[in-house]
Amino acid sequence: MSSAGRIGGVARLELQRLLRARVTFTLLLLVPALQVVLFGYAIRPDAASITVAIAAPDVVFAQQLAAVAQAAGSTVVAAGLAPGGAEAKVRERSALVGLEAAVGAGDGAPAAPPSLRIVVDGTNAALTEPALARIEAAFWRTQVERTRSVSARPRLEIQRLHNPDGLASWTFLPALAGVTVMIAMIMLGSLSLARERESGSWETLLSLPIRASEVLLGKLLPAAMLGVLQGVLVLAAGFLLFGLPLHPSVLALLLLLPLFAATHFVLGYAIAARAATQLAGLQGAIAFYLPAMLLSGFLYPFESLPGWARGLGNVFPLTHFIRAAHSAVLCDATPGVVLAEGVPMLAFAGAAVAVAMLAHARRID
Amino acid sequence: MPDPVVTALGLAKHYGGRPVVQGVSLELLPGQILGLVGANGGGKTTTLRMLAGLLRPDHGSGVRFGRPLHSTRAADRAAFGYMTQRLSLQPELSVLANLRFRCAAHGIVDATTRLADVTARYGIGSLLQRRVETLSGGQARRAQFVATVVHGPQLLLLDEPTAGLDVVTRLDIWRWLHALAGEGVAIVISTHDLADAEQCDRLLHYQDGRVEGPLTPAALIAASGASDLEAAILHRATQS
Repeated sequence: MSSAGRIGGVARLELQRLLRARVTFTLLLLVPALQVVLFGYAIRPDAASITVAIAAPDVVFAQQLAAVAQAAGSTVVAAGLAPGGAEAKVRERSALVGLEAAVGAGDGAPAAPPSLRIVVDGTNAALTEPALARIEAAFWRTQVERTRSVSARPRLEIQRLHNPDGLASWTFLPALAGVTVMIAMIMLGSLSLARERESGSWETLLSLPIRASEVLLGKLLPAAMLGVLQGVLVLAAGFLLFGLPLHPSVLALLLLLPLFAATHFVLGYAIAARAATQLAGLQGAIAFYLPAMLLSGFLYPFESLPGWARGLGNVFPLTHFIRAAHSAVLCDATPGVVLAEGVPMLAFAGAAVAVAMLAHARRID
Repeated sequence: MPDPVVTALGLAKHYGGRPVVQGVSLELLPGQILGLVGANGGGKTTTLRMLAGLLRPDHGSGVRFGRPLHSTRAADRAAFGYMTQRLSLQPELSVLANLRFRCAAHGIVDATTRLADVTARYGIGSLLQRRVETLSGGQARRAQFVATVVHGPQLLLLDEPTAGLDVVTRLDIWRWLHALAGEGVAIVISTHDLADAEQCDRLLHYQDGRVEGPLTPAALIAASGASDLEAAILHRATQS
């Protein structure tokens, strides 16, 4: 037989195998469909997601600043606040940008130009830096139109909270700890079971007097330890190599790591309980962590997502881990604020355990 | 007369509407060796899986140590040892690690003493520290057998335990099986090898999902009018 004939024979065999494998259709259809939906409808970073709070000494100035923010495409969530009120809103994370205006001295003294302090939440530099540039440009444009006098133009000061230099690495590294742990755990969870099934040891395991919950816990404990170690290493790299601030609240984040790791291992296990092969298990893992990465605020700012995508994003434990990580590492939030993100994680973990236990058959039929 | 270890009446299993095996009835007493013989695909493994509670019969019922065969309670799986045809030890771990896991699964408190006992009894001391993936087929099967009996079960369900083995390992396994049966362990062994079948007390003969027996090998030969077991099985195969 010629080489072409042999190639054709192999190709025919491979095509038949692919067409008979259900996982192939998942591979071909589900993942691209997911990407089309997420990139087409959810990932649309726009300026409207920038929330602005305004504190000004008078209504007119506040209105002027609101017009500036709107001209930059941002959404004003609070205006006319007392001095310091806009910064407070940013600190409590209910606005991403605060505009703190002050007028020059009056009452007979030579009139000083007004000043504007822009306070920015630096935890998500990818979102706030472009927004800052837009607001700044809109502000200067407005000022140029209002006054021809250079000396009368206000002074502008920019203050980045939590990330003074607006470093993207400070935004990404705490979140990266969550992403790496999530991927590793969900992969380990799905492979641990599928591998046993493919090797034939699953049948023997089922014949042993071990409860489903004991199998799950036995597999979970060492995996979760590895996950915690992995998360700690990524965070340590952030502190040592990229100068992330090492606040005491990081300890609260470390308390969340085992829960976060365990949640994803159990989820992987639940996926694998219904997956016939390791490939199918991996496919299920990808189908979960791809949207988690897109909708959690890791790759794209969470605030820039449409409402339905934010709602969906809030389901993923990664979203809450990233919030907790930013709160702990960048904001030095109280342990309560950091640990509160563990509540939705716990709910997700409970659901994953229930699914895993239901899917864990005690028979092979 | 002692109570039966296993009884089954009319067990049947279908896959996708196609009967894999039907009409499995048996009663197994302590110390008996029951052979499931017949061609590949005849339903022997399916029968073993039903007896182990890993498959739920579509028809029929049975009990193992007084508990329903299909029970999924972990405690009901403590009193028997099940050995699959495929190597089911963890290949990347040592034989010792595999045996320690089995001891833990069965709640054996003094695993060290138990492992010393079985190692001496089955002569696998030289294999303990070796990774399973480095063992020959015969060595791996010996290790798998020891893992199956490490908890001292009163019932053994063995799926083709001697398939593809060298004659020494094969004889060793049969020597071990007869010794265990002498101690009162009931054994169900599937095989398509008639040399194995001849060593069993009674046989279930499988042919295209139908089951005949249990019969003693001599009764099976006599019922076929054949001179030996091979001729008897061949006679039945050509008649079906």
